[in-house]
Amino acid sequence: MRVGLLPAQGGSYRWVMLTLATMGILISALPVAVVTLMSFSAAETSGFPPSEFSLRWYGEVARMFSNEDASSAQSVVDSTLTSLLVAVIVMMISTVVCVPLAYALARGERRIRAGMELLFTLPLVFPLVMLGIAFLLIAEGLAWELGIWRIIIPHIALVLPFVLRNCLSAMGGISVELEEAAISLGAPPLRAIWDIVVPLMKAGILAGLIFALIISFNEFTITFFMYTIDVSTLPIWMYSRTVSSLDPSTLALSVYIIAADVILILLVDKLIAGRANLF
Amino acid sequence: MSNSTLTRKQALAFAAPAFIAILPFFVACLYILRFSLSGEQGRIEGFSIDAYRNLMTPFFGRSVWLTLRLAFFATVIALMMAVPLAFLLTTLKRPVARRTLTVIILLPMILNLLVQAYGWILLLGPSGALNTVLRNLGIIDRPLFLLFNETGVLLGLIQTSLPLAVFPIVSAVRAISQEHLEAASSLGASNWRIFRDVTLPLLRPALLGAASICFAFNASAFAVPLLLGGRRVQMMGVAIRDMISPLFNWSGAAAAGMILIVMTLFLMIFSAWLVRLTTEKTKG
Repeated sequence: MRVGLLPAQGGSYRWVMLTLATMGILISALPVAVVTLMSFSAAETSGFPPSEFSLRWYGEVARMFSNEDASSAQSVVDSTLTSLLVAVIVMMISTVVCVPLAYALARGERRIRAGMELLFTLPLVFPLVMLGIAFLLIAEGLAWELGIWRIIIPHIALVLPFVLRNCLSAMGGISVELEEAAISLGAPPLRAIWDIVVPLMKAGILAGLIFALIISFNEFTITFFMYTIDVSTLPIWMYSRTVSSLDPSTLALSVYIIAADVILILLVDKLIAGRANLF
Repeated sequence: MSNSTLTRKQALAFAAPAFIAILPFFVACLYILRFSLSGEQGRIEGFSIDAYRNLMTPFFGRSVWLTLRLAFFATVIALMMAVPLAFLLTTLKRPVARRTLTVIILLPMILNLLVQAYGWILLLGPSGALNTVLRNLGIIDRPLFLLFNETGVLLGLIQTSLPLAVFPIVSAVRAISQEHLEAASSLGASNWRIFRDVTLPLLRPALLGAASICFAFNASAFAVPLLLGGRRVQMMGVAIRDMISPLFNWSGAAAAGMILIVMTLFLMIFSAWLVRLTTEKTKG
């Protein structure tokens, strides 16, 4: 029993702590819970509480995805595909660059490591609006035909801190002796890294991959500045659809996104179970 | 460099791809700085500080004050809830319960902000869940307006920044040794006394760190005030967007952004300095 943190009997202390924790849980969970509940409503409007339940809006989402509506400027199918493509490319690139960096930082000088970690954490605390505007200004100034890379490049900067942190904590548990053993048995150093270190880092690498995928897929702010008529993502599509009124079929679509995110978070949590912090 | 197995050249080669990947970010930072000093509003031309001088208006001042105020309150409230949540997360023994709580807390930071905005609109809107419940209970006659004003934005900020506060505190709570608490308890200290005199001082560095990250995150929020504040809550993020989108005042937006960045960076450095000061004091 943890004395002092949350004692089983503790009068006002326990009561206050549990009340605050409950408020925190409610504030975190209620919006998502309400979206989920209302998506099963049978009514046209989003009045609460729903008088009847149905799956009609889920059918509506399926119809949106199957009937390609040529008249809409940017269809939901296109934006979803763009979102997925961007997320997958961001995930691949950020992981491929972070694994060797994590290796270099873990095996290099400690003083350099602290500075580098700080450097690669900067995108996390940098105002997203400013990043969006800066990248937009550059893209406009250069007048290059960037295609989907105009979204991919800022997203990579955004996910690097998360991926690097996962890779670094995965490197933490791997001792130098294992590599040295492989090298002393005649393996070239790069081979030792590829065959010994990378497989041991697997859980951390996978967690980083998934993190990058979730963050890029859900990113709104930077994309809000960078999107064009041709290159737009699912969050932007949802924004343009609901800017005037809230449509129940968007709620059903949201529930799909929530479900995907929950599954991916659980996967990350399982991969790094107890060994590291999420960020 | 005793445990280092890499030469400097090798380390650089390993780090090079990541540098290339993050380079656009640093270019973007410099570009914004340069643009804010431009003599022209629409392009980079010459040097002047007009963009900054033009920001010295009551409107922008109000925006800065509103940003600081909302970010401050959201941070304080998030921290007040984050500490008990961190206790709960570390106390829970069953993996299912711990995992569920982790997902509930982490989801708001990661999930598409639009989905959360829909949630708040459904909860707090004039015909939303809260108003309906309160009206059915006979507590209110007319709907409360909680959306498209500061209350709605504040709630959204608390929700999205809560995970940033909880997880650093969780790792600090894990590091508190059970002996400290047991010693205090066996000496007869009450729960509140242990919390105030043992737990809180031990958590102070983590609390300061979490507070500064939360504050920086909240001060630079864009999607939450945009979606939950409507036009009326002009936090700096939204004000900066408005300079660009209807007004095409690029250099002004860049200057406002620089002010926002300097504000958040200053605060983070200040809190890092405070952390060092307090940890040195507890050690000595």
